[in-house]
Amino acid sequence: MKPVIQIDGQTVDPHPAADVVETEPGSFSVLIGSSVFEVWASESHIALAGRRFEFSVEDPRAWKHGGAGGGVHGKASILAPMPGKVVRILVAVGDEVKQGQGILVVEAMKMQNEMKAPRDGRVTVIAVAVNASVTAGTLLAVVE
Amino acid sequence: MFEKVLIANRGEIALRIIRTLREMGIRSVAVYSDADRAALHVRKADEAVHIGPSPSHESYLNVGRILQAARCCGAQAIHPGYGFLSENAAFAQACDDAGIVFIGPSAASIGRMGSKTEARRTAQAGGAPIVPGTEEGLTSATEAAAFARDTGFPVMLKAVAGGGGKGMRRVDRAEDLFSAFDSASSEALRAFGDGRIYVEKLIENARHVEIQIFGDRHGNMVYLGERECSVQRRHQKVIEESPSPLLARMPGMRERMGEAAVKAARAAGYYNAGTVEFLASNDGSFYFLEMNTRLQVEHPVTELVTGLDLVRLQLEVAAGGKLPFTQADVALRGAAMECRVYAEDPANNFFPSPGKITRLSEPAGPGVRVDSGIYAGWTVPIDYDPMLSKLIVWAANREQAIERMLRALGEYHIGGIMSNLPLFQIILNDPAFRAGDLHTGYLDQLLAAGIDFAPPVAEEILPVAAAVALASQAGHDRSTSAVAQETSRWLAAGRRSLHR
Repeated sequence: MKPVIQIDGQTVDPHPAADVVETEPGSFSVLIGSSVFEVWASESHIALAGRRFEFSVEDPRAWKHGGAGGGVHGKASILAPMPGKVVRILVAVGDEVKQGQGILVVEAMKMQNEMKAPRDGRVTVIAVAVNASVTAGTLLAVVE
Repeated sequence: MFEKVLIANRGEIALRIIRTLREMGIRSVAVYSDADRAALHVRKADEAVHIGPSPSHESYLNVGRILQAARCCGAQAIHPGYGFLSENAAFAQACDDAGIVFIGPSAASIGRMGSKTEARRTAQAGGAPIVPGTEEGLTSATEAAAFARDTGFPVMLKAVAGGGGKGMRRVDRAEDLFSAFDSASSEALRAFGDGRIYVEKLIENARHVEIQIFGDRHGNMVYLGERECSVQRRHQKVIEESPSPLLARMPGMRERMGEAAVKAARAAGYYNAGTVEFLASNDGSFYFLEMNTRLQVEHPVTELVTGLDLVRLQLEVAAGGKLPFTQADVALRGAAMECRVYAEDPANNFFPSPGKITRLSEPAGPGVRVDSGIYAGWTVPIDYDPMLSKLIVWAANREQAIERMLRALGEYHIGGIMSNLPLFQIILNDPAFRAGDLHTGYLDQLLAAGIDFAPPVAEEILPVAAAVALASQAGHDRSTSAVAQETSRWLAAGRRSLHR
């Protein structure tokens, strides 16, 4: 069975004339006719032409990417994008918020990052407390 | 000259200093925290001393541990780099008291120019024009509000002990002043251990132009041209260049600013490397902003247009030597530009992106310099500033420097973490940047207008990506076993030869 390749969520057939050589682990030289492409690949991303693409190759053993962050049924979860510490919570459960309004502040790498409401709605969950350490992907709050 | 120098810093600047020390035949001593055992500066130094846990206040800001390390290994001098203890007068004094040379100005000069409010008074006394602002650090937002009422909005809140954009807030409306004051003050307290804030009138559409000065302990002082650092995001410099496109077209402005900078530094009894920052207007007027009493992040730009090694000069002057040239000998040649490469994702609100660097391909070739603190396989720790490296280019003129920078950016690949490399492509292709039409709000405006970090690509790009996806997947299934087999064969051969 032909593997299904997804590039940034879109099914793409590999170039039929691509001459691909792995020059060192994760580094590829590609020739299409005489056109040269320098490409880097990790387990999930490809860097090429100054751009970075997420990819997957359908394979029963391959990592399955789940949808994170939600947006399902008008519910938007705010997840910590990286490890850090919650330094301030700017709203309370039940507050009406506008898209782009600050919900809480997470400090990481000496920088304070305001996590903003992804949409208009009501804050239904605040899942962390001030001073809580969070890891990447930790649920911080939910706006419905 | 010193025989051994300790570097009280980490990352790219520690590497930068180690390189000059090695060229001068001086032994280098690195210091490191728990998080930095495997950092590049530890790998490249002659000696390395552990100074404590990962948080910087327990390691890179720990005066006692650093002095102890210097004494233990017999270092005669300490280079503080930038950030951390570099502008800490108490540290410079403690070095002095311990009989160790602090490579920088005197503790008294640091104290004087390190306090932003006192620096303003000193510069004014030296005859440099200053931006209207409060004379003292403020203890409450109410005092800031009174100043703003008198001079009008917008105003800028700044940390008295500040630097690097920390504890700085632009305030446009009275109702925002109190929350901005609190957040600036708490940020300043965390960054510098001093939460005092002062307020200045905000000069709109001004450029950030700074003068590199250098003095010895025999009363000689020169200025080494300027650097324009108007491309900033949230008051953090992103791209720096020399010459400034403004000064390049304003006859005599460089000399006027240079002389004002030297006067301000002389008023502080300054020696060693320093930078006097100015706000400059397109009409040729300029105002003293602050003085940085250390080697700057962007010093390579000056090195490339002057042909000098500023770290070597710092060491010579710190060892009691005279400046080996006069103002008349200083000639600026060509154009240099620097991009600060950070572990942050410009397409996702510049979120910091620490993690493991899986692949690294650094640019090279004519006129390209990479001052880097990273390597493939290293994990960028979450404990420190997210700066990874600086990409600096030199060319015959500004236009060619831009083309060279774009070429070098195309060669730069950092895999495994996100970096701000895509942002530089956008800035360097922006017509306003290329025209040298800059002001400190330039980048924030460009970003506010919305940047498409995923523009459409040529039609063959996605099929090429798919071909590599397939090959890398196939390689993955193969590679673990192939590499393992190869390794074990070599190991087996090695063992056989040992047993022979």
